[in-house]
Amino acid sequence: MPIEEEILPFFQWLPGGVAHWLLVVGSVAAAALVLGWLVSALRHGPGAALRRMSRVVADAYNDVAGMSSRRVGALAWLAVKESIRRWVIVVFGVFIVILLFAGFFLDPASTDPARLYVSFVLTSTMYLILLLALFLSTLSLPADIRNRTLHTVVTKPVRASEIVLGRMLGFAVVGTAMLACMGVLSYFFVLRGLSHTHEISPRELERLRASWQEQVAGGKPAAPVEIQTEPAHGHRHTLRVDPFRRDADRRELIPRGRVRTDAARGHWHEFSYRVPEGALRGDAPGPLEYAVGPPEDRFVARVPIYGKLRFKDPAGEPVERGVNVGGEWAYRSFIQGGTLASAIWTFEGVTPQRFPEDRFPDGIPIELTIEVFRTHMGDVTGEHIPPIHGSLMVGNPATGQQVEVRIFPAREHATDSQIIPRRLTRASDGRTFDLFEDLVDDGRLEVWIRCIEPGQYFGMAQADMYLRAREGWFAWNFVKGYLGIWMQMLLMIAFGVMFSTFLSGPVAMLATLGALIGGMATRFMGQLASGELPGGGPVEAFYRILTQENLISELPEGFFRDLIFMVDTALQGYYLRGMVEILPAFQWFDYSTWVAYGFNISGDLLASCILTLVGFVLPVFLAGYFFLKLREVAR
Amino acid sequence: MPPPEVVVETRNLTKVYRDFWGRRKVDALKALDLEIRRGEIFGLLGPNGSGKTTTMKLLLGLLFPTTGQALVFGRDATEVTKNERIGYLPEESYLYRFLNAEETLDFYGRLFNMPRKVRRQRVNELVTLVGLEKARKRQLKEYSKGMVRRIGLAQALINDPELILLDEPTSGLDPIGTRQIKDLILRLRDAGKTIILCSHLLADVQDVCDRIGILYQGELKELGRVDTLLTLRDVTEIRAGGLSDAAREEIKQVIERHGGAVVSVGNPTTTLEELFLGIIRQSEAHPGRRVRGVLAEQPGDGDGAVAAKP
Ligand SMILES: Nc1ncnc2c1ncn2[C@@H]1O[C@H](COP(=O)(O)OP(=O)(O)OP(=O)(O)O)[C@@H](O)[C@H]1O
Ligand SMILES: [Mg+2]
Repeated sequence: MPIEEEILPFFQWLPGGVAHWLLVVGSVAAAALVLGWLVSALRHGPGAALRRMSRVVADAYNDVAGMSSRRVGALAWLAVKESIRRWVIVVFGVFIVILLFAGFFLDPASTDPARLYVSFVLTSTMYLILLLALFLSTLSLPADIRNRTLHTVVTKPVRASEIVLGRMLGFAVVGTAMLACMGVLSYFFVLRGLSHTHEISPRELERLRASWQEQVAGGKPAAPVEIQTEPAHGHRHTLRVDPFRRDADRRELIPRGRVRTDAARGHWHEFSYRVPEGALRGDAPGPLEYAVGPPEDRFVARVPIYGKLRFKDPAGEPVERGVNVGGEWAYRSFIQGGTLASAIWTFEGVTPQRFPEDRFPDGIPIELTIEVFRTHMGDVTGEHIPPIHGSLMVGNPATGQQVEVRIFPAREHATDSQIIPRRLTRASDGRTFDLFEDLVDDGRLEVWIRCIEPGQYFGMAQADMYLRAREGWFAWNFVKGYLGIWMQMLLMIAFGVMFSTFLSGPVAMLATLGALIGGMATRFMGQLASGELPGGGPVEAFYRILTQENLISELPEGFFRDLIFMVDTALQGYYLRGMVEILPAFQWFDYSTWVAYGFNISGDLLASCILTLVGFVLPVFLAGYFFLKLREVAR
Repeated sequence: MPPPEVVVETRNLTKVYRDFWGRRKVDALKALDLEIRRGEIFGLLGPNGSGKTTTMKLLLGLLFPTTGQALVFGRDATEVTKNERIGYLPEESYLYRFLNAEETLDFYGRLFNMPRKVRRQRVNELVTLVGLEKARKRQLKEYSKGMVRRIGLAQALINDPELILLDEPTSGLDPIGTRQIKDLILRLRDAGKTIILCSHLLADVQDVCDRIGILYQGELKELGRVDTLLTLRDVTEIRAGGLSDAAREEIKQVIERHGGAVVSVGNPTTTLEELFLGIIRQSEAHPGRRVRGVLAEQPGDGDGAVAAKP
């Protein structure tokens, strides 16, 4: 699975999230209060400063509680009017041009065109909308202050809170309308761009017809004929058509029917045929009629069921994690091939109700992604580097019974779909098992992976294997992807307006851009702060760049090194940590990978993101209010 | 009758503009003490850069005082709620140029939380009042300077304010417009409103203001009722008709001896322009001193009038 992040269920996430938020917001507020008091005390003396502070806080309560919807509405309306006059149309034009050009350079014949198209539209929309939000939100208020049009506004009974909120709302309305238009356009762009059918050549049709005629005439059973479609969008499909009903001894032709082609490039087509009257007669054979439908299952929204992952070491003893193979990112943990080392997922809720026979006739579909770490290339005499094989087993967590499902070649960097059959036979003793009867214990099922080639390693993380119980609806998932962009846009607007209350336009823009870039890198900064990355803290890293040292060599001992370490520790501990907490975590809201890779964006993720958004917007709004309130508008 | 309620009060109001680094740049207003009562038209005069606009901005809470206090309706000038009862016409009309007259007035009406019906009615009244009926649907960016000034004035009156601050209300207006505005100001005063205005057109100020204050480099140099200020106390004017030259000569002698038939006795008034120029001249000659009786040295000259110093 490409999304290498564990999503906690919302209510499990909630208490910790809220506590964390309270802590961060509380400490920022406390810091602001202390700083404000210090500054004020320098000017007016400590006692007066305290009185002033308390007045400001009391005012803030009144100003926020006493906001009038009519005033906020008027200010929002103004912001909308202003935006329409300014940028919006241009941005929309740019978007259309981008889509037009994209039609040329996006290749529908690439390996995973759906992913390409979807991530393209999502990403381009995201950047355009964020750019729009950046311009709108940061330039408006400073322009109003510069033109002094704000003087006329603030001499009305308008609260600073209403000005800030009205601006935010107005731009949000504009952005939302734009985003909705872009979303609809993108959706149809993707569908249309990838829509295709396939022809079937007369030769193949004739092969089909001839075989059927032979069977009708001779009545002898033959294997279903396999034919190939003509290429379209750089691929072909194969399909088998078997139009005979096999009753006891009679063979009867069904004159019309439909079958699925095989899956290629992540989709299949429906092939429907009709055998016209007399088409199979010997003397004057007529052609078959057929139709190939649009691509199906191309856009999916898988709803995975995740399990709990644990490991066993080469001796078969339980271990916390697998081995670390060095330079690889620590997300995945590795098991050694040709030993008893295994990765074991325990799934819950594996019940016949969830996987009813009519919808899952073959068994339970699972998908897995494995990272392969080769210590040697293996047998490379052939044309291709041979794949590394693994074994997939299922087991009953209560009885310990185990059955091997199959040996499979690990496809690197690709998601592999497999089926755990309803009935399994153990090769060693020939015993057969019913999946739900014998191997599932109270809805729990274990799935084991081993690497069977000595000297090679498989890397896995918990989210790498999941059961595919249900399909989400792609269009809705697409909408959720846009919802993610929408939330990022709101964050951007909130930050933009907040910065523009006390900075001039271009500076506010830079600051917001900084917050955006920092926010997109919060993960990296978090690692930097916790010292997970090699090369040390910022100063040490900078020193290494200057001296062209590599990342892991020891620095020369002495006072200088101690100084570097000290500054770094302080930076990492306070500054970076703090920044990570305060910066808007834009990464959180970027769902493009989910939509593009066809994973349903879960309600849990959505809910926690919405709450996170509120958690950001609220304090940012308050900060904007204070900055505007405490500023001399006429300076 | 008790004196009318004090609407605006400043105590030791001082404003120092500082640059980004907090260095003193301009002392725009120095220790201003002022009281303006309900129903007054108060004129704030002074040369360019003397601190008139600064004073207004301080009264509106657009600027924060460096020291001292500005009270409006007895409340601190930085409080928003006081704005409910205030109308302000800025120095230049700072309005959104992409709105038309109706939208502009409606927008500011909404900021006063006025319901739609009231707003519509008020907008109609004001558009008529300032004579913009024909241009009500045109965007402000197409307006001439005087038209913008008019819509700016309408905007200041949208809430039927009790206290109106007008920063150079007649600048850019044609003579008819100027006359209309002056009449309007007088009407508003008669309706019990308080008006503070500043203007460089001294004749206008003289026409409408009850009291004036003259600022020079941020200091209040003169403050008082217009009629008293323009009265030359140490000059006596006697006007008489049908006198021969001999008689006039005689009267001079009589006056010298403190007697005779006097037709009218009074103080000649000067024009505000003279007062103003006198104060400025005086201030330039003696910086830092409050000016008193500037005009004593330069008697007004009226035809057929006799002026004498006691
Ligand atoms: N934002 C500002 N920053 C720095 N100095 C300022 C600022 N605004 C005004 N000043 C200075 O303060 C002084 C008073 O300015 P103010 O605008 O009050 O004058 P004014 O009496 O209204 O003049 P005018 O008749 O030209 O309108 C001037 O010296 C001016 O340069
Ligand atoms: Mg001025």
